[in-house]
Parts: sequence; C-alpha cells; structure tokens
Amino acid sequence: MDQPASLAIDCLSHGFGTKPVLHDVQLRILRGQIVALVGPSGCGKSTLLRAIVGTHLPRQGTVTVFSGNSHLTGHVVEGPGRDRGIVYQHYSLFPFLTAVENVAFGLMLDQTNISYRLFKFPRWLKRRAEHLKQAREFLDRVGLGSAASLYPSEMSGGMCQRVAVAQALIMKPALLLLDEPFGALDEAMREELQRMLLGLYQENLAARRKGELEPHTMFIVTHELNEALYVGDRVVGLSQYWDWRQAGHAQPPGATVVYDCSAPIFEPDDTRDFSCFAGQREEIRDVVFNPDSAYPREKHLRYWQELEQQREAEPAP
Amino acid sequence: MIGEPIARVWHVTLGIGAVLLLLIAYTILSMRQHRENPDDKTIPSWSQLSEGVKKSVEVNQRSNERWVVADAQATSLRLFWGVFWGVSGSLLIGMLMGCFAFVEAFLYPPLAFLAKIPPIALLAVFFVLAGTGETMYVTMIAFGVLPTLAQTVYLAVKEVPAELRYKAYTLGASHLEIIWNVLLRHVLPKLIDAIRLQIGPAMVYLIAAEMVVGDVGFGYRIRLQFKLLNMSVVYPYIVVLGAFGFGIDYALRKLQAFVSPWYAKGY
Repeated sequence: MDQPASLAIDCLSHGFGTKPVLHDVQLRILRGQIVALVGPSGCGKSTLLRAIVGTHLPRQGTVTVFSGNSHLTGHVVEGPGRDRGIVYQHYSLFPFLTAVENVAFGLMLDQTNISYRLFKFPRWLKRRAEHLKQAREFLDRVGLGSAASLYPSEMSGGMCQRVAVAQALIMKPALLLLDEPFGALDEAMREELQRMLLGLYQENLAARRKGELEPHTMFIVTHELNEALYVGDRVVGLSQYWDWRQAGHAQPPGATVVYDCSAPIFEPDDTRDFSCFAGQREEIRDVVFNPDSAYPREKHLRYWQELEQQREAEPAP
Repeated sequence: MIGEPIARVWHVTLGIGAVLLLLIAYTILSMRQHRENPDDKTIPSWSQLSEGVKKSVEVNQRSNERWVVADAQATSLRLFWGVFWGVSGSLLIGMLMGCFAFVEAFLYPPLAFLAKIPPIALLAVFFVLAGTGETMYVTMIAFGVLPTLAQTVYLAVKEVPAELRYKAYTLGASHLEIIWNVLLRHVLPKLIDAIRLQIGPAMVYLIAAEMVVGDVGFGYRIRLQFKLLNMSVVYPYIVVLGAFGFGIDYALRKLQAFVSPWYAKGY
C-alpha cells in the first residue's frame, strides 16, 4: 500500500534580517515515518521546526500538513494547530499541573471551551473524569501510571519527557515534532526513551500490516548522529555546507537538505549496536557536518530512489 | 554551616525565646522608667497596659462602641477594598501589558514612573480628588499598590517560557485559554507573593491617612491617644496592628498553598 504524506515542505526559505538561514528546503514526510533531522549547530534545524509548528512562518515557501483519521486532507500551516504535537527539550510540561492533568490538558482545551467549563459545570465534571481516565491510560502506556499525581518539579527529566510524549500522543496529532527531546538526559534515560519511540514505530508497522493508517508520524530534531540512525527510519541532513557556487549563488544562500536516506530499522528489544551503521554515520559526517564539503545538494538525496527499489523488491500482495 | 537546616523544635524554641526576650526587655525598661518617675505614661507598666486594653475593649460611654472593634472594622474594610481594587486593576493592566506589546509600550513608562512615587506624598492630591471620606482611603491604597503589583504581574507573564504558549496552541488552546489556563495559573502565586509584600506599604498609607483626616480607625485612635499621652492604649493598638498584618499574611500564604500547590513544592 502506498503511504500517504503527512507533511510537505515546498521551496521553504527563511532568514533573519539580511542573513539567510534556510534556502529552498524541500521535504515530504510519509505517514508512519520517524524522520530524524540532523545538521551542524546554527544551520537552522530549530528554525525549520518552528516553521512546521507555525510559530515562526517562513519568508518564502509553504508547509502543508495532512491530517484526518481515514481520509487525509492537507492544509497550509499559518500558525500553531492541534494537528502538530510538540515535545521540547526544556519546558515540556506545564509546571502548575500534575502529570495526569498535563496529559489531560489537551483534551480539555480541544473538546471544551471556557464558557462550557464555567456555565455547564456538572457536564464538565463528568467529561473531566473521562479525560483523566484517558490520560491515566496514556501514562500507563509510557510506564508512568504510578506518577500520575506528581508535579513536574517532583519528577526526573526522563519522567517529564515521557509525560510530554504522552501529552502529545493523546491528541493523536498528524505529526509529532520532537526538538532535541532527550538532549538533557543521561545515557540510560535516553536509551529508555529511544526504545519507547521504537515501540511506537512498531505500532505503526502493526497498523500497516493490518492495512490501517499508521498512528504515529514523527519528526525528531537531534544533534546526536547515533540517536538519529537508531530511532529514525529515515535520516535527513540539513546543512549550509553544499556547493552553492555551482548552483549559481554569489553568497551563501543558507542551509538546505543535503542528505536524505533510509536508516536501519530496530526493534525495542534489539541490542543497541551502533557499529552496524558506522559507514552511514561517516557518510553523514562528511556530507552534512564537514565545513569543507561541497557536494551538489541533490547528490545524497537517495530516499525516494531507495523507497522505489524497496517497493519493487516487495512481493505483490 | 551556612544554609544548614535546624530541627523544628529549635525553630519553635528560638521563636518563643525571641518574643520572651522582647517582653523582658520591655519590662526592665518600664520598671527603670517608673523608678525614676512613678507617674510615667510613656513606657507604661503592665498594670497600666491592662487598664489601656480594658479601655479599648470596653464599650465607651460617649461613643457607645468598643474602640478596638470600631477601629478594626473601619481599617480592615478600607484595607480590603483598597487592596481589592488595586489587585483587580493591576491584574488587568499587568496581564494586558504582558500579553500585548502595544499595551506594554503605552503603559510601561507611566507605570514605572508612578511606581517610584510614594503614595503618602500624593496624600494631598488624593484629598483634592477623592475628598476625605471612605473613597479617599480606598483610592489611595488602590493607587498605592497598583503600580508595583501591575509590574509584578507583567514581569511574571513575561517570564512564562514561549514554549509553553506554543505548546498550549498545539493542544488546541484559544488566545483566551492561553491567558486564562496558562498565564494566569503561572502568575497567581507570584501575585499573592507580591500582595503579601504590599500589605505593609498599604497599611502605612492607610494609617498615615487615618492619622491626618480619620474619625475612626487604627491610625486615628493611635494619633488621638498619643496626643493625650495615653501610651497604655497606643502600645496595645500597635500589637493589634502587628497581629492584624500577621493574620493577613498567614491567610495569604494559606490561599497561595490552596490555589497553587505546585508553587510551594519548589517550582
């Protein structure tokens, strides 16, 4: 079955003042993918993420999000919306809400409004109980059922990020954006959360096997190459180091997508063996992170070709 | 070592010890004064003080009311309405300034300027604009606390990380819900902290105004009894004033723990 797109970025360019940051970014993410975005510091990863969230709109180009339960419809991003969930590295949770209230917060905002909560109080209470029940189920899914009544200040960084993932997932977003989500965590906690994401990817594969729409599409921004290759099923490299002179620019026009390839797929229980993708890691280092590299921007965009080959190799249903 | 906590029993013992020390110091001072002048009224003895307390709580034959009750009622009502309007105005102004840049640009300069003027210096202006009745006390307290409280609210809104606002939008919040469900929740405990700090200045403005133009209230009674050199009434009134402020502070702390339990847990 052909996977429908969840996100389409077309000809996106952005800059601050006279300084260009992003140049002609083109990217299409399919439903059910976990796409890891890597790039050198200051290349505009966060700017791209903000453009997708809708908090900082690009100067040129469009971001289109496709959402819906059975039939996907696209709309151009003009501001933040509930079809895109976000997990930040810091300030992931509302400090004045407990873990379960944080997870239920989105349901409250999405399904009710202030006047409903004030003037239809008894009905709101009933609905509130349902929201909290659902939130508890999601907390159980991320292994934090027992921490429901804790405030963020009483939880570890890892616990907070788990709650933040549950908070985003409960909204069933068309696209879950993760901005360096595990950057501030220790190695053990990071590994645990990476495995949690792999578990979500397995849910996608199970849905695909049943012919259903995959429930989770994720776009994860990370500076950790191993994390990108381990968690993502596709790695995209954004870099300002490319052959822009060859493309006819007199000045550096900003960062663009210079790398787009499939990544090996792991299951949550697999041994974490980073040596198996050592070659690809070196390739990404050379193409994306090396200031001296000057490859044509299309040279390492192999993902769609790989996907085509993969589909041809698959036996007909 | 610096910052090392002590046991609760030590906390209580040291607190009681400090109060006892104060009482002992007063007793010694009063005894010494009365040894020099047995009719002294400036530092009354304990028996003179009990007479003063009796005078304050008994029904006065001329006014047919208990001084302390009438004064407490008048002062607390003035304080309540003054603080109420001050807090309401500052919440509105501070939230608008924190949320909308054009309101911030418009209101910040006059607010920063007004915050630096002691309201007592404006007493004459308040007399002219609001007369010398109850409205004047309420107006003075409200305008006295408003600039500082509005600045507190404004800064607290500015402190809220942008990520939290963005996140709330991605969860489906409207602009009004961001203000009501995110910013206000964040601001509330800080506002209560600021009110606790502003209760002291508010009482200063009120007592000063009552001393100048009042016909009832703590300030009026203290000034009147001081003129008659009835320090046996003045001192108990000062203690009542202290207890009054302490009670308000305690109630505000309890309110803060009730409405923002997360804040007390070390946010």
